[in-house]
Amino acid sequence: MDLKLNDDQNMMKKVAADFLKAEAPSHVITEWYQKKIAHLPELYKKTAGVGWLGMMVPDEFGGGGSSATDCAVVFEELGRGPLPGPYFSCGVLAAQLFLEGGSAAQQKSWLPKICDGTAIVIPALSDDPIQFGPKSVQTRAIKSASGFTLSGTKRYVQDGAAASQFICAARSDSGDVVLALVDRNAPGVSVQPVFGFMIGAAEVSFDNVAVGADALIGAVDSGWPVLEAALTKALPILCAYQVGACQEIFEMTNEYTRTRVVFGQPIGRFQRVQDHCVDISIHLDGARWITYETLWKIDSAVAATAGAHQSKAVASEAYYQSCHFAHMVFAGAGTDYKHPLMAHSVLAHALYQYLGTPLFHKRAMIDALYPRKAKVG
Amino acid sequence: MDFNLQPDSPEISEFRQEVRAWLAENMKGSEHLRWSGNWSTRENDEEYKFRRALAGKLGKKRWLFPTYPEKYGGAGLSLDHQFVLETEIDRYGLSLGSVFYTLSRLVAPAVMKFGTEEQKAELLPPMTRGELAVWQLLTEPQGGSDVANCQTKAIRDGDVYIVNGQKVLVGHHLPPDFLWTFVCTNPAGKRHENLGWLYIPATLPGITIQHMHLMMGIKNAVFFDNVRVPAKYLVGGENNGWKVANSYLELEHGGGGSVAEHPLFARLIAHCQRTNFDGESLMEDQDVRDVLAEMLIDLDVQRLMGLRNFWHRYVKQPHSYGGPQFLFLQRMVRLRNAERVQKICGYDALAPDDSVHEVADFEYTVRSGPGWLHGGGTLDTDRLIIARRLGLGRPSQEDAPTTV
Repeated sequence: MDLKLNDDQNMMKKVAADFLKAEAPSHVITEWYQKKIAHLPELYKKTAGVGWLGMMVPDEFGGGGSSATDCAVVFEELGRGPLPGPYFSCGVLAAQLFLEGGSAAQQKSWLPKICDGTAIVIPALSDDPIQFGPKSVQTRAIKSASGFTLSGTKRYVQDGAAASQFICAARSDSGDVVLALVDRNAPGVSVQPVFGFMIGAAEVSFDNVAVGADALIGAVDSGWPVLEAALTKALPILCAYQVGACQEIFEMTNEYTRTRVVFGQPIGRFQRVQDHCVDISIHLDGARWITYETLWKIDSAVAATAGAHQSKAVASEAYYQSCHFAHMVFAGAGTDYKHPLMAHSVLAHALYQYLGTPLFHKRAMIDALYPRKAKVG
Repeated sequence: MDFNLQPDSPEISEFRQEVRAWLAENMKGSEHLRWSGNWSTRENDEEYKFRRALAGKLGKKRWLFPTYPEKYGGAGLSLDHQFVLETEIDRYGLSLGSVFYTLSRLVAPAVMKFGTEEQKAELLPPMTRGELAVWQLLTEPQGGSDVANCQTKAIRDGDVYIVNGQKVLVGHHLPPDFLWTFVCTNPAGKRHENLGWLYIPATLPGITIQHMHLMMGIKNAVFFDNVRVPAKYLVGGENNGWKVANSYLELEHGGGGSVAEHPLFARLIAHCQRTNFDGESLMEDQDVRDVLAEMLIDLDVQRLMGLRNFWHRYVKQPHSYGGPQFLFLQRMVRLRNAERVQKICGYDALAPDDSVHEVADFEYTVRSGPGWLHGGGTLDTDRLIIARRLGLGRPSQEDAPTTV
């Protein structure tokens, strides 16, 4: 047993922290969130140089060949920002989709572009705004002479506006989920950013978009299993990002209890204020250790499906609740869009939904551990 | 990182085989027994005798305190060895810390850290050999969480301390051999600087023990009426008791960590799988599955925080707020699980079942929620300690004391 980061990981963590301090300090990130800037193309390209795009992609495709834990250590730092951009959606999830389901040709053609930042491939999965899962895939993939025709609207695609390509989940005539690679500029594709108490979402419509048979990632009937396999490896990285965010909120809130004075004393002397910090600590550390145990399982080739679902449930809930507890402490000052808490608050609500809510993943966790009996009839 | 609990080296692997074989032999005759919780309403004598004898055998083998030096009854082994012993005995549903009812697991480290050479030589071996039942006497009727407000007085008179006062909520249904007692050695002294720890033979004249019948089982009130305790049994020096308490309570307060899996969840799953409602297994009911999911997450977080604390202790880098955080979480999880078990099992959660280990009994679980909110301080003292360790509202942060 060894529960500390190794020297390399500590170094990667420091490099990431220093890079962010120089390129995206907290007050700048806060301003991006206030202006709803969800993607910084120049910065994104620059991060290819420090190896943040496609960290878990094998060397042969231009990636870092990192373990899941190494990648998570860096994403934890990004989450402290919280740095916006398709670092996870493209650099981790799309890359894993190619690795799990892509043909040799697709891998060779797309992974290097993901790693050097010249392609931004964004998974467009759910049509249904309420919940994630195979039932939420409603865009149709109608068989055509040369492949498929895609029709449907994904109302909230995270990082959708940044995409150069989409991986569109659609339902085939036989009811299976297929994953199709679609160029953003293909006829019939339209992208419309969505604004609100969230960041980075876009409505993506596919209006009779023709794709060739070679655009499918995985076989016609294996779209969802490919996605599940990719999510098992990818979700814990997103969770690490949320853990980093919770860590930042925790430190920011604790510090505020020392400096903010009311009724003649620092607010941290009030036990009710202390309670909010204690609650954040439990959410933070719960999310941290559930996530890192799952990462260790992935790196040790131990079954991690239930752990990945558990991590997403715990980390998304932790991020959301940590923001709420921090709002209790920061009160009015924390609701100003110029306050760093607001960037987190907005993002926590978006990530609560992204790729499935805590309720969805709790159910998926139990289903993975204790499968339901098949219903007869 | 490596979360693997059994990355045994060849030497450790050999030791594990030895321990496993030894336990297989020495656990014989216990097959029909169902273990009581540390705080129990079962009061099963046959079980208690088996466990007490087992502690004696483990002690003789020097496996009860395996990392202690040989001269104090340990085996001078590494924490890896202790880890093997902990995990192997856990397979039988027991733990090294509570083979039978004694708080030696907490008291011995305090003697080890603060005792003089003479005290260590006299007090430690009987404890480490598992021969003694030691109670911890801390709580007083008026004090509760405010343990520094200690009214039990120990006044030096030549070679003895004369002890007068009362302790409550301590011990077990069977009598103790020694009483590890927090006393006030200087009633006129400043708070926190007037305290001491006395190791008191329980058979001394003037000691009266009365049962208290409580939610979780029997505890006791202990009265001291001019009890003459040899002065050599003051551990840690006069008026230094607060410092001793801080270090040693960190162990009681979760800083020791844990490596065991909680048996409750597996039993609840088995119950749901074989129990039908409305023609369908409870395991197929979405509401039940949702409750199970919440419970599993809570127990996994608790398990991992226990593991984290164990590791921090193992590498001798105490986690600043991990001890009280674990204790706070554990109390909250117990409380939530109490309600969850009743939600799932209904009336069955209110009827004791002696055919299972007590810690996995549903009725015990339901009582444990509210019944164990106070042991070692309340939820609120846990949070108070966390706040100090985090330095909330303060310019500096309190360090976690180092444990043995």
